[in-house]
Amino acid sequence: MIATVTLNPALDIILEVEELKLDHYNKVHNVRSTAGGKGINVSKAIKSCQWDTVTLGFVGGNRGRIVEEELRSSGITTNFWHIEGETRSNIIIWDKKRNYHTLLSETGPLITEYDLEMFYSIYSRVMSQCKAVTLSGSLPPGVPVDVYSKLISIAKEREVKTILNAAGEAFERGLEKGPYLAKPDLREKNQILGKNINNEKDAIQIAQEITQKGAEIAVVSFEQKKDIIATHQELWFAETVHHQIVNLIGAADALVAGLAVALTEEEQEFSEAIKFSMAAALASALREEEEFNSREEVENCLPYVKIKKYQNLVKR
Amino acid sequence: MKIKDLMIRDITSVLPDCNLENLIKILSRHRITGVPVVNQQQEVVGFISQHDIIKAILPNYLEIIDSCSLLTEFIQLSKRLKDYSHHKVEEFMNTKVITIKEEDNEVIAADLLIRNKIQRLPVVRQNKLVGVVTLTDICRILLESNEKNS
Repeated sequence: MIATVTLNPALDIILEVEELKLDHYNKVHNVRSTAGGKGINVSKAIKSCQWDTVTLGFVGGNRGRIVEEELRSSGITTNFWHIEGETRSNIIIWDKKRNYHTLLSETGPLITEYDLEMFYSIYSRVMSQCKAVTLSGSLPPGVPVDVYSKLISIAKEREVKTILNAAGEAFERGLEKGPYLAKPDLREKNQILGKNINNEKDAIQIAQEITQKGAEIAVVSFEQKKDIIATHQELWFAETVHHQIVNLIGAADALVAGLAVALTEEEQEFSEAIKFSMAAALASALREEEEFNSREEVENCLPYVKIKKYQNLVKR
Repeated sequence: MKIKDLMIRDITSVLPDCNLENLIKILSRHRITGVPVVNQQQEVVGFISQHDIIKAILPNYLEIIDSCSLLTEFIQLSKRLKDYSHHKVEEFMNTKVITIKEEDNEVIAADLLIRNKIQRLPVVRQNKLVGVVTLTDICRILLESNEKNS
């Protein structure tokens, strides 16, 4: 079983309008909602790769129950701590004419010390039945910035592989505890460890710095479809070459899911694991709305992944 | 049909040292009547329900539930609940725990639920909790399969 942690899940509500007019009456043609949050998206992709997955975090109120119900009915196991507040919603207004997506995102409910204590207890127990855990996404109000570092320590005590995919200080604090794999989340800011990532050279430098700071494997994305993968001994370049990409929004989460699956399946070579994770990202990017729903879709994308091993580790 | 295809994929559970106040919070927020009790390895070691708590702290309450003294007994029950709020689940839980494997089928589950007069049956894989099955879920699945057949 692979666990995912989503501390700040959301109910994503997608409103389709013909053309969004500000300060005006807008008719909504279609409404749909889905459980959202980075860890939850990772769980959905893991499930599609035919692995059992359990998702943990905080939910509350009616929205929280909708999130839970959707996940369970799609075959994902849940073990959320229910808080007093209400799970946040993300309103996405899809202007179909111009293909604009306007996101109105709530901060999330307050998490108390009591909630955190109960969550740590759940997390610790669930680790006893997992091979890997992914720690992804933003922190809701009340959650300390060292939360991921604590979760990494607990998982390591139970010999569970940890995959950290976060931004800013939460990522940097997590690195101190030596996660198995670390991938900075660069959605909001193209910067990590005080450096910008604009090209391959920057990505290589950062990936090597991440491994030096404690991660066994570092994955750094750049120019949307390219990644640098570093270990203490090896350095790899990976990219996808497909011309029908329609949606890159969930691709990073699918990549994390692919890494979690491939690195947990012991028979996979490291180079195969890189290819599989890139193929998972591509399978997600080829779909306009929902995530891919079979392992076959991922395997069909493998021919469109190019990887290259650098012969000599680049000196920093 | 296999249990893993009809179970509720939720592993909400409590430790034996969880106190009643926390337990009632969990039951109320999840809108459920009972939860499996597990150890640190997620192995099921018991089951605790509202019924077990009431039976332990006010044994007469369930017997007189139809009588006219229900209200006074209810006040008594709420007082007793407050007194017991820091007591641990292990004092009240049912340790003769009945579980089912995810590879078993709905007939075995229905039999266990009815014969033991229980509402929720923990589902295990290698003794570790992976879900819960209820009679309602089994009935729903049977109804759906009947509709498909007809």
